Amino acid sequence: MAGKISNTPATYTPSPTSQNKKRPSIVTGSDWVRPDGRGLHQCRPAFLRTGAVNSASGSAYAEFGNTKVIVSVFGPRESKKAMMYSDIGRLNCNVSYTSFATPIRGQASDSKDLSSMLHKALEGAIILESFPKTTVDVFALVLESGGSDLPVVISCASLALSDAGIRLYDIVASVSMSCLGMNLVIDPVSEEESYQDGNLMITCMPSRNEVTQMTVTGEWSTPKIHEAMQICLDACTKLGMIMRSCLKEAVSAPEE
Amino acid sequence: MGATDVIASVKAELGKPNASHPDKGRVSIYVDCSPTAEPTFEGRGGEELSIELSTALQRCLLGGKSGAGAGIDLSSLSIVEGKVCWDIYIDGLVVSSDGNLLDALGAAIKAALSNTAIPKVEVAANASSDEQPEVDVSDEEFLQFDTTGIPVIITLTKVGRHYIVDATAEEESQMSSAVSISVNRQGRICGLTKRGGAGLDPSIILDMISVAKHVSEQLIDKLDSEIAAAEACDEEL
Repeated sequence: MAGKISNTPATYTPSPTSQNKKRPSIVTGSDWVRPDGRGLHQCRPAFLRTGAVNSASGSAYAEFGNTKVIVSVFGPRESKKAMMYSDIGRLNCNVSYTSFATPIRGQASDSKDLSSMLHKALEGAIILESFPKTTVDVFALVLESGGSDLPVVISCASLALSDAGIRLYDIVASVSMSCLGMNLVIDPVSEEESYQDGNLMITCMPSRNEVTQMTVTGEWSTPKIHEAMQICLDACTKLGMIMRSCLKEAVSAPEE
Repeated sequence: MGATDVIASVKAELGKPNASHPDKGRVSIYVDCSPTAEPTFEGRGGEELSIELSTALQRCLLGGKSGAGAGIDLSSLSIVEGKVCWDIYIDGLVVSSDGNLLDALGAAIKAALSNTAIPKVEVAANASSDEQPEVDVSDEEFLQFDTTGIPVIITLTKVGRHYIVDATAEEESQMSSAVSISVNRQGRICGLTKRGGAGLDPSIILDMISVAKHVSEQLIDKLDSEIAAAEACDEEL
């Protein structure tokens, strides 16, 4: 089991009050014991590092349990001559999987779909007016896919953008939640994802309390969606704080 | 819907099921944006929009990875477990685009599926477990697809501080963001996709969900009565 929790904060859990309210409804029905022994509303410990790639304007490496993602940002660069003049900047996103990322070799997920979702999640957060006529390229590479890939990619990409010095309205944190029978499970592993009945992914800007993207698959009743959104937004806020502390560490370290 | 015209067609072929889900059939949804709708759709132009629409439709109609919560019952498509199943290809074509493509496609697919008749298949009884079993596709008997579980898609577009349902192209050009919610007959949410760049307050999203549920009830009733009327016409012919 990957337990590389070096010098970054350990597990983060949503606030205790929400957990107490939900516990009765979770324990009924089939009791799902998570493969890595986490609580139902407990996210994986996050390892975040900026400056992973030296040749890029900005980059970040994120490890959430078994999901390892590296994102590098290039730009703002001159737009291709073929593109028209635009007085706001352009964002170009690309997500790809390595061939050894999944247990079965070469089983790449629909990466074009992920690229467009990454684009939509980030475009609401970047101040595009600050770099007219240029393009910012975000390239994400999933080194190992251990479940809940897209949220990790989005969070890591926003770290890389801040590392590159691109102006953002706020950092973007993203969390996904699976519905397994009666239980709501946050930050699913790939095993849990293959059994899931439904998935809810939220991308939000914690300080502004704005949701930039939300996708729901599977069948949900309205109270379940309310509950899931509440838990996810809580977790996003905590993740946002961890990302900020990582950025502060990166800045203060060279000064020592 | 208004000036938006879409065509949906359903084709079924015999195929081998996915190794990870041997008892389920396969459904694949693809949307093509034709240049007759918009000149910018020519060649690669419409590709991005096609992929976005196809993914959104797949999310709404097919549910989670384990197949639960799907609008279409995949296990009814299996013939011989692990060997032969029906492959359903749902193709949508956008002929004229005046906004709100997703809703129109959702309604068209629902209607197309209710009109679909899957031929009955007989499997040869003495096939050994290794070989491909012989299947006899009957031309006479058909199975009607069960479409009561299929959800409809409602898109709520946020313009300024209000949200509108069924936006035309003119209204969509002014939108800050849009949320497409797919609701089924029982009032449960089968899928939700947020499009557009601007951020939304979580309470607004919850409000939109309740509005969508309200509107969807009327839409489902209207659609079902239209489909029933159309089928009655067909039978008379």
